[in-house]
Amino acid sequence: MVIVVAECASGHLSQTSREAVAAARHLASDISLIVPAPAGADAIAEALQLPVAEVVALEHDAFAHPTAEVLATALAPLLAASDATHVLWAHTYQARDYVPRLSARLGRPLATDCVAIERTGDGVLFTRTIFHGRLVADVVLDGPGPHFVTTQIGAFRDTAPAAPAPAAPQLRHVAAEIPEAALQVRAEPPVRDVRQSTDLTQARRIVAVGRGIREESHLGLVRELAAALGAEIAASRPVCDAGWLPMDRQIGSSGQTVAPELYVAVGISGAIQHIVGMKGSKTIVAINRDPDAPIFEIADYGIVGDLFEVVPALTAALTSR
Amino acid sequence: MTQALERETLEVDVLIVGAGPAGLSAAIRLAQLQAAAGGDPLSIAVLEKGPEPGAHSLSGAVMDLSALGELFPDFEARGAPVGCRVTGDEVRFLTPARAWRLPITPPPLSNHGCAVVSLSDVVRWLAAQAEALGIDVFSGFPGSELIIDGTRVVGVRTGDRGLDRHRQPTALFEPGVDVRAAVTILCDGVRGNLTKTLVRRLDLDVDRQPQTYSLGIKELWETPAPKVPPGRVIHTVGYPLQTTEFGGAFIYGLPDNQVTIGLVTGLGPADPLFDPYHTFQRLKQHPFVADLLEGGTLLKYGAKALPEGGWYAIPRLAVDGALIAGDAGGFVNSLRLKGIHLAMRTGMLAAEAAFDAIRAGDTSRARLVRYEQQVRTGAVGRELFPVRNVHQAFDRGFFTGVAFAGLSMLTGGWWVRDPIPATAGHRRMRTVARVHGDPRRLEAALAPPPFDRRLTFDRLTAVHHSGTRHREDAPSHLIVHDTDICRTKCRIEYANPCTRYCPANVYEMVDDGAGGVRLQINASNCVHCKTCDIIDPYQIVDWVPPEGGDGPRFEGM
Repeated sequence: MVIVVAECASGHLSQTSREAVAAARHLASDISLIVPAPAGADAIAEALQLPVAEVVALEHDAFAHPTAEVLATALAPLLAASDATHVLWAHTYQARDYVPRLSARLGRPLATDCVAIERTGDGVLFTRTIFHGRLVADVVLDGPGPHFVTTQIGAFRDTAPAAPAPAAPQLRHVAAEIPEAALQVRAEPPVRDVRQSTDLTQARRIVAVGRGIREESHLGLVRELAAALGAEIAASRPVCDAGWLPMDRQIGSSGQTVAPELYVAVGISGAIQHIVGMKGSKTIVAINRDPDAPIFEIADYGIVGDLFEVVPALTAALTSR
Repeated sequence: MTQALERETLEVDVLIVGAGPAGLSAAIRLAQLQAAAGGDPLSIAVLEKGPEPGAHSLSGAVMDLSALGELFPDFEARGAPVGCRVTGDEVRFLTPARAWRLPITPPPLSNHGCAVVSLSDVVRWLAAQAEALGIDVFSGFPGSELIIDGTRVVGVRTGDRGLDRHRQPTALFEPGVDVRAAVTILCDGVRGNLTKTLVRRLDLDVDRQPQTYSLGIKELWETPAPKVPPGRVIHTVGYPLQTTEFGGAFIYGLPDNQVTIGLVTGLGPADPLFDPYHTFQRLKQHPFVADLLEGGTLLKYGAKALPEGGWYAIPRLAVDGALIAGDAGGFVNSLRLKGIHLAMRTGMLAAEAAFDAIRAGDTSRARLVRYEQQVRTGAVGRELFPVRNVHQAFDRGFFTGVAFAGLSMLTGGWWVRDPIPATAGHRRMRTVARVHGDPRRLEAALAPPPFDRRLTFDRLTAVHHSGTRHREDAPSHLIVHDTDICRTKCRIEYANPCTRYCPANVYEMVDDGAGGVRLQINASNCVHCKTCDIIDPYQIVDWVPPEGGDGPRFEGM
């Protein structure tokens, strides 16, 4: 028998768990799928649709947002008492966090991030990539079973052998026993980072600011001009390098390449590294103190002057219309 | 790293660090020895920090083909990119307005039978030969630390990937890999970070002269008319350098109307305000040079330091479990201006010693030391020993150097003082006050030369033509151990020479918003020349390899 430990997200069975089941079918057709989830989760019904012999609903409220310690503590007695030859997980962030603990705690060997499984005469060969994917290593696990294996995400998508579909799986409910000590750390529900990602390539107008702005506190001037023009704000490397604007607003060879209808370059000298990122813009307006700045070679309109005078005047003229 | 990490480990028989001419010659020779001797196949791995072999290789270059012929007698049939043979040599002495041609070319600068090559192309070709022999070349894997057990080198740890600016792991984090080897051959190039560590740790330079360096800055141009025919080799001395400054220019004709032009300047002039990049731009404004480049286009740019110290500056080359070859060991003939063939030859000798040691089951220094003996008594020693004092003589001025170089051809390099003492470049730098006295002269000296953006360019534009790239949010690979020195002591004593010596605009002193200045390191501009590490007068700059694959993309260089 082979055990697969599933992973749930928001009460549903994750796609990676299906991949782990597909991987397990390379080892045996007799698969027991352990689903750690709060009682009544949809994941159990979803698990019953999979080609496994048995679904173990391992139930505890802490599985809604489990910590590594909760999972390791709940699974350890189950796996230790099992007569399975192997236990499989998908190589997810969660598995990376707690499977090594289980392996160490139970003294079972672990092969991580495997991309292929092959039965040989008397054993099983697990293939994993090493050296940042440049080499592949064949791993043979020995020592007392069950042996622990995590499988690379995407490696076992549709590769399950066409074994005869088993009968409908048996369902077994097990209440997880988790001592209070393992519950001292409680995980909050995950929060999603709502920061908008910036796709400057879609912007029709861009106001870009360079080193001429001198200080972060002066950026307001440029933001006002951008607002008056209905434009996105962007920057050349020194501004992003100083952390005054995020790196996804950098234009140039090490940032984004854009071609808006209007590109206003404020205090940008026009180093070639910047030019290559914006030279396709339809209309380029440059504001710079230095009449010899290379930016004027590609600008359609050039204003030689102090940006601290020119920019507010421009903003005022645009907003008074 | 503070947390315990699971690192991959790879075990090989021979690990070679650096897929340059030395490293690849070593790998190829090992495979050849293996094929000839039979027996258990050796596992050979080559680590390379660049995105592919050749991307970080740069040289003039006029190449002596003798070592290539020893490695592959049929190199022409194999299509080695060395087809542009030297058709003629000339040496010119430049004054600000004239270019006097020397009536005869000094014998060491006669390049009959050599080829004008792009080293990056030659290295790409060598890598293809190595891979055809079954050698694994791991590009994008810098050797970041030596793994040392007592006095024995047991392998190399490659660099971590996916760290943020503060060296904290990001979602892309992958720890480096430990490659363990019976013999490690360090071919990590001029001022190689691993060789530097090893030399210091095991005192391999005891009783040796300090290594001295030059900086070579090079551009590749395409010209409308073939002013410099393919195979034409021009060397110049004199302007724009002072007679107290070591160096000279090279101009080589290539096929397809391409011209290589470069300037080599000693890293160790007394004047802290010396600016190799600006000096190179001034060279192009000389009427003789400007005429050759007239109407042309700058295609590529790059820079690299080169070891000039010669015979007496070469460190001990064999330790328990490791050998040093190529530029890492300082194998350059500074009179002939050549080192590629010496890199290849020392790489091959290192391979022979490594092969012998592994077959004998003894990879201690006692066994590997035969490499040092082969270097000393063989072709490498026969070439370098007679010119052992020439570069040191040039330290005493250009004319002294020329006189000595001529004399040494009669005496076989002998001189009443042998070795002629040398001083490391960073120790020769004098303070601004001592060289320039009046601070008003300082401002004049620091004024930037005009860049016309046709013949002469600012540093940033030049850097663009090196193709260099580094992940912007990666940790800086230029480590300045005490930036307070930069804004206080160094600013006053030397006026921050890093800002002028760096040919890639990595170092800038910027307004700190509080009335002073602070050092800003634009690490992503770095072209991996190592000059800052070498010349910094306080020796507080450490060049370490950036994330694998980052750095210049030299092609045709």
